[in-house]
Amino acid sequence: MNNAPKPNLEDLPTKAQLFRSSVIAGIGAVAILVTIYLPAEHAIDPTGVGRVLGLTKMGEIKLELAAEAEADRLLDEQLGQDQSSSVLDAVFGLFVGTAHAQEAQEVWRDEVTFTLEPGASAEVKMTMEAGNVVDYAWTTTGGRVNFDLHAHGGGESIDYERGRGETAGEGNIEAPFAGNHGWFWRNRDSTAITITIQLRGDYSEIVQSN
Amino acid sequence: MTSTSRVLRALAPRQIATLTLLLLAACMLTVSQALAHNVTAGDAGYIQEIWGVKIIPFIYLGAKHMVTGYDHILFLLGVVFFLYKMKDVGIYVSLFAIGHSVTMLLGVWYGWGINAYIIDAIIGLSVVYKALDNLGYYQKWFGFQPNTKAATLIFGLFHGTGLATKILEYDIPQDGLLANLLAFNVGVEVGQLLALAVILIVMGYWRRHPDFMRQATIANLVMMGLGIWLTGYQIADYIAST
Repeated sequence: MNNAPKPNLEDLPTKAQLFRSSVIAGIGAVAILVTIYLPAEHAIDPTGVGRVLGLTKMGEIKLELAAEAEADRLLDEQLGQDQSSSVLDAVFGLFVGTAHAQEAQEVWRDEVTFTLEPGASAEVKMTMEAGNVVDYAWTTTGGRVNFDLHAHGGGESIDYERGRGETAGEGNIEAPFAGNHGWFWRNRDSTAITITIQLRGDYSEIVQSN
Repeated sequence: MTSTSRVLRALAPRQIATLTLLLLAACMLTVSQALAHNVTAGDAGYIQEIWGVKIIPFIYLGAKHMVTGYDHILFLLGVVFFLYKMKDVGIYVSLFAIGHSVTMLLGVWYGWGINAYIIDAIIGLSVVYKALDNLGYYQKWFGFQPNTKAATLIFGLFHGTGLATKILEYDIPQDGLLANLLAFNVGVEVGQLLALAVILIVMGYWRRHPDFMRQATIANLVMMGLGIWLTGYQIADYIAST
């Protein structure tokens, strides 16, 4: 029935060899669990090896993202019940002082500047109606930034653009639904970053939270 | 009565344990990833937060992908099931490694976006193919033995295409792509060797058992069933996604 002969016992590893292999495999498994798996998945690093290998950092980022995903989900549920996406933003929201850009060849309506320490994050969003268009240009100094240009609320969501390790960006977005549209910024670099965003177009206010 | 209980006893610890492991691995399929719309969690989330060359993290991710990739492990198990000599194990596993490395690297580098469900269905079929091969059905049906080395290499190419599709979904940053990709590939081979070590130890004990050949028939039939199930599941998902 099988496409192979019965194995000869002399071709097989002896029980003593198998036992030794099993012990080695068991020790190896525990070593991998403690120095590799726990740091990389749960940021638990009793030996400090995971930190040296860069795996504890991975675990920390995963834990942080998992917590944010959960918070996002709860927020979504809440907003789904409220049917008003601006309530929470209004709580955190603060008006950003407008500094008119110099009237060079490009006239910007607002300029937003803020600084992120390593590991810190912030949101800058424009309150827009469906069909509104906003032009933007931004640059960083001091390091490279990760961002997610998006909007969500009331069961709708859109991801315009994501980036990591970037130092500048420009373009425009057209809002497919009413709400706050803009960036989630995070500094994964090792130094503080200052981000400057210039904006113009159809929006009623700028909401900043961190 | 005595023969039944002997069979049960023979089946009992090792084979049941093996089958349970296989079924557990298969059940992981049904755990779907429900992600929030803005935050990508897990390995993909980590990758989307970083940039630059990160050798050891990518070796880890490659090894994790292989060790938790039940379809690759099932095929590997099928390939080495009846290989009793380490030299043969080395040859076949190398052929599989060459096959999946080639398409994985080229696939990511040139961005071959192949539908994940279709490629995973083919990978499921590779498990069915190997189980039927182990059971000797090709000689029975067609009167000849298809080249097993060629089959291992060719299915390795398909497995690599599947790996490439998953890596493309990870969205590895352009900054450091080549080094990180090679590190991921090294990790895949490390993971394969770790899985192989466990498989060979378990098989080593099992092959010494007097009833191994009869149990092997059952095990390969189960493997074929799992392969069919994997394939059907992927096809169903494909239809649902269109």
